Amino acid sequence: MTRATAGMAPPGPASRHLVDSYLAEVTAGLPGSARARASVVDELRAGLLDAIDAYRSAGLTAEQAAQAAVSEFGDPGQVAGAFRPGLAVSQARRVAVTLVATGPLIGLLWGAAALASHLGIRHAPPWQWAGAPPGSLVAFPLAAAALAVTVWAALFAVAVTGHLTRWLAFGARLAPAAAAIAGFGAMTVDLIIFVLLAGRLVAAPGTLAPAPVAVAAAASLIRLTLARRAGRRCLAARAALT
Amino acid sequence: MRPETLKGHLDGMLLAALEPAPRHGYAIMEVLRDGSGGQFDLPTGTVYPALHRLERAGLIKAAWSEAGGRRRRVYQLTPAGRRALDAERGTWRDFSAAVTALLEPAPRPVTS
Repeated sequence: MTRATAGMAPPGPASRHLVDSYLAEVTAGLPGSARARASVVDELRAGLLDAIDAYRSAGLTAEQAAQAAVSEFGDPGQVAGAFRPGLAVSQARRVAVTLVATGPLIGLLWGAAALASHLGIRHAPPWQWAGAPPGSLVAFPLAAAALAVTVWAALFAVAVTGHLTRWLAFGARLAPAAAAIAGFGAMTVDLIIFVLLAGRLVAAPGTLAPAPVAVAAAASLIRLTLARRAGRRCLAARAALT
Repeated sequence: MRPETLKGHLDGMLLAALEPAPRHGYAIMEVLRDGSGGQFDLPTGTVYPALHRLERAGLIKAAWSEAGGRRRRVYQLTPAGRRALDAERGTWRDFSAAVTALLEPAPRPVTS
């Protein structure tokens, strides 16, 4: 076959439809961010158009060329299956890196909220902490355990998705699982914080600095929602690997 | 040739296709097909995930480039990719020499 020549006549609507529906079949149910999937689609589309050019230079009509290009690219399910491990690993890495990067920020916000309540509202000196909030004997160890699991799972996911893991058979199933554990762990930490906060609001509502607590609570609520969604997506991506 | 026969060697051949010059996905596919006299005719769609895997492994790197009104991802070997290709070549030479020596009926000079 001759090399594809640039600047051929644009494919007609029938061939464009063939290419579009092939691409839609490949990307349906692919894991990863919208951007990662769009990049896959763009690259495959360029390849399909190259193939169409090649078949047209060989004398086929626009529609025959599109048909030939689509069948040359192979079963959409097989192509999607080959993309899946890599996209699942990239997704797991992105989730884990985001959790590692934003976790300390949320910790800082809650620390600031606690400090502002302590110094600004209760006017207590820094070295004189009030008694533990109700339920904290259970909640603190639980939160610490959830935090430890989250941090280790996230760091593990980052580690197994680095450049060194060339053989995806290792990371492809492990990384999404670790990232999902990290996501659900972060969600659990937020939930425990909210339970503690609710207890505090009921027991001693006047002892909280409204603005810093509201900011920290908003950040935690956003993280909880996104971490839960990311965890579910990682699990779904892992389940789709064959 | 069946795709399974090709499987273990696809990475090395993709790297080899990129050795002379950077190429985009479809051009790499054409190198494989034309260079093998049509023997390696695997589904073109599966070449792209393989390229992405090599990219994640740091053996090749990709950049979008625009030519002829078409945006393509162009791949090129990294230094690590060159080293991997050299290693692959050495392994293949030893392997094919040994297989040839065992499979060929009469003793004759080994060709690789």
